[in-house]
Amino acid sequence: MNDATRPVVHGLVNSGILQRLFLTLGGFSIRVSHAAVGLILPLGVLGLWQFAVIHEWIAVQLLPPPELVWQSLQDLWESGDLTHHLSVSLSRIGWSVLIGSSIGWLLGFSVALSKTARAYLYPSFEVFSQFPVVGWIPLLIIFLGIDEGLKIAAISIAVVVPVTVATYKGISNIPRNLLEVAQVYRFTRSQVLLRVVLPAALPSLFSGFRQGIMQAWLALVFVELLASSEGVGYLMGYARLLMQLDLVFVGVIVIGVIGVTLDLSLSFLESRLQSWLHTVHGEAK
Amino acid sequence: MAHAATLEIKNLNKQYKVRGESLPVLENISLSIKPGEFVSIVGSSGCGKSTLLKLIIGLEDDYQGELLLDGSRIVGTSLERGIVFQEHRLFPWLTVEQNISIGLLNNTKFSEEEKRKSVQEHIELVGLKDFAGAYPYQLSGGMSQRVAIARALVNRPEVLLLDEPFGALDAFTRAFLQQELQRIWEKEGITMIQVTHDVEEAVYLGDRVVVMQPRPGRIKRIIDVPLPRERNRSSAEFIAIKEEVLREFSHTADASAGLIEKAASNEEYSHSNELSYQA
Ligand SMILES: Nc1ncnc2c1ncn2[C@@H]1O[C@H](COP(=O)(O)OP(=O)(O)OP(=O)(O)O)[C@@H](O)[C@H]1O
Ligand SMILES: [Mg+2]
Repeated sequence: MNDATRPVVHGLVNSGILQRLFLTLGGFSIRVSHAAVGLILPLGVLGLWQFAVIHEWIAVQLLPPPELVWQSLQDLWESGDLTHHLSVSLSRIGWSVLIGSSIGWLLGFSVALSKTARAYLYPSFEVFSQFPVVGWIPLLIIFLGIDEGLKIAAISIAVVVPVTVATYKGISNIPRNLLEVAQVYRFTRSQVLLRVVLPAALPSLFSGFRQGIMQAWLALVFVELLASSEGVGYLMGYARLLMQLDLVFVGVIVIGVIGVTLDLSLSFLESRLQSWLHTVHGEAK
Repeated sequence: MAHAATLEIKNLNKQYKVRGESLPVLENISLSIKPGEFVSIVGSSGCGKSTLLKLIIGLEDDYQGELLLDGSRIVGTSLERGIVFQEHRLFPWLTVEQNISIGLLNNTKFSEEEKRKSVQEHIELVGLKDFAGAYPYQLSGGMSQRVAIARALVNRPEVLLLDEPFGALDAFTRAFLQQELQRIWEKEGITMIQVTHDVEEAVYLGDRVVVMQPRPGRIKRIIDVPLPRERNRSSAEFIAIKEEVLREFSHTADASAGLIEKAASNEEYSHSNELSYQA
């Protein structure tokens, strides 16, 4: 803590917002110490990496030193290239999540709410969901070429599966008791949907959405490595061809950092949502 | 005053399918309930009391026999028939006030102003004014049950079914709400059917007490309570009727436990305590 922040902290302590903040921070520091344990392995690997470079166990062309990777990351950032590739990748994620989760919700809702839809669609969906995204790519190339459409389609498929499953499960697990209450008070179909099904299934819907985003992130790198001229995955593939392994490492780091950030922020949002809805399934007997 | 209804139950039979086998739950139930009557139902656990209420409210249509309300067959649910379930069944994402308002969501008889007033009155009735903005997870079991009672009452139904509504309440609140329920019943002329494990409560509130016996659920006996209201729980007549109901009860228990008559009469008092304080 430097001197500039100290008066601010004192101000907070003296003002009364307070104790609560410190309790939160207390909880946070416990989590941080857990996280710290988790950092031991990566730091060890970093140390080993540095050690291996110093002792030239592996040729520098194959294993660039950490400083070089760090330097390349900065160069790439300053030149705007990294921002460019990242924004391409993130917009692919955005579109795919939008398309994939819309389809997933539609499918999940129909299958959960209509016996007919379930009978017709669910068996095929279960088979469909067994294929890994890469499995679809050759087929998609035939119909969509290798343009943007292919990438969006492939990543969307990765999103559809978890979103559909979570939506379907979430709606079918709504306590029957509450649906009976809705029946007693003569809720219309849309009232049941908006006032019972949606709030009761919201945590599952969100958790499906979260899984969808994470799947999209994984699929993205794959698809971009395979067929692309822009994006973070492309950057890595291209750098590998040119034997610029420092750039490959930059890619790995960027992908990891963004993935972890996404996951942490989504799980934070999920826990907020759950406490806001007061854990439907636990309370509703 | 609500227009109270005549409820006729004729030769009602109900089975549940359990692992492919048909399990008889209610057998040959016949009961005619006059408009504005208060009927108490007692009977050991599992004898089909909740199932009977579920049929009357219209949540199950798979049964044999007849269920008639003012002569016409009960089909589906209706806002004229209210129920307080055995569990509170509140929506966890709604506050106390919102949960009670749900009862009026599709009510077309009241103006918006009347609805608002009715909700406030009922929140006060069940003593939860300070908790109007609280969520169910912030309430005790008894408080939740009181919200459920208010939710069922806001509509002023013609027929009100109550499935052990006071089970989770302390003795004071229970006595208070029994009194209030009786007051509403007298004022509104609602037909009420209340399931309870508390024999004293059954006699205190009921015009008749229906004693059921299990496996399959049948009516064992119907006992009239010809006492004027307010009833005095310690009067000799009151106690005599209570004893009579308890006797039916302990016979049922004996039959299944295979106890001899004599032991049962010795145990009658402890038995009665257990019943009255069962939560
Ligand atoms: N949906 C169901 N499917 C199968 N069996 C059921 C179902 N609901 C109730 N039963 C059975 O019907 C019987 C009567 O149940 P019910 O809930 O009506 O009893 P009850 O008299 O209300 O008991 P309690 O006093 O414990 O509330 C029980 O044997 C129960 O196992
Ligand atoms: Mg019951």
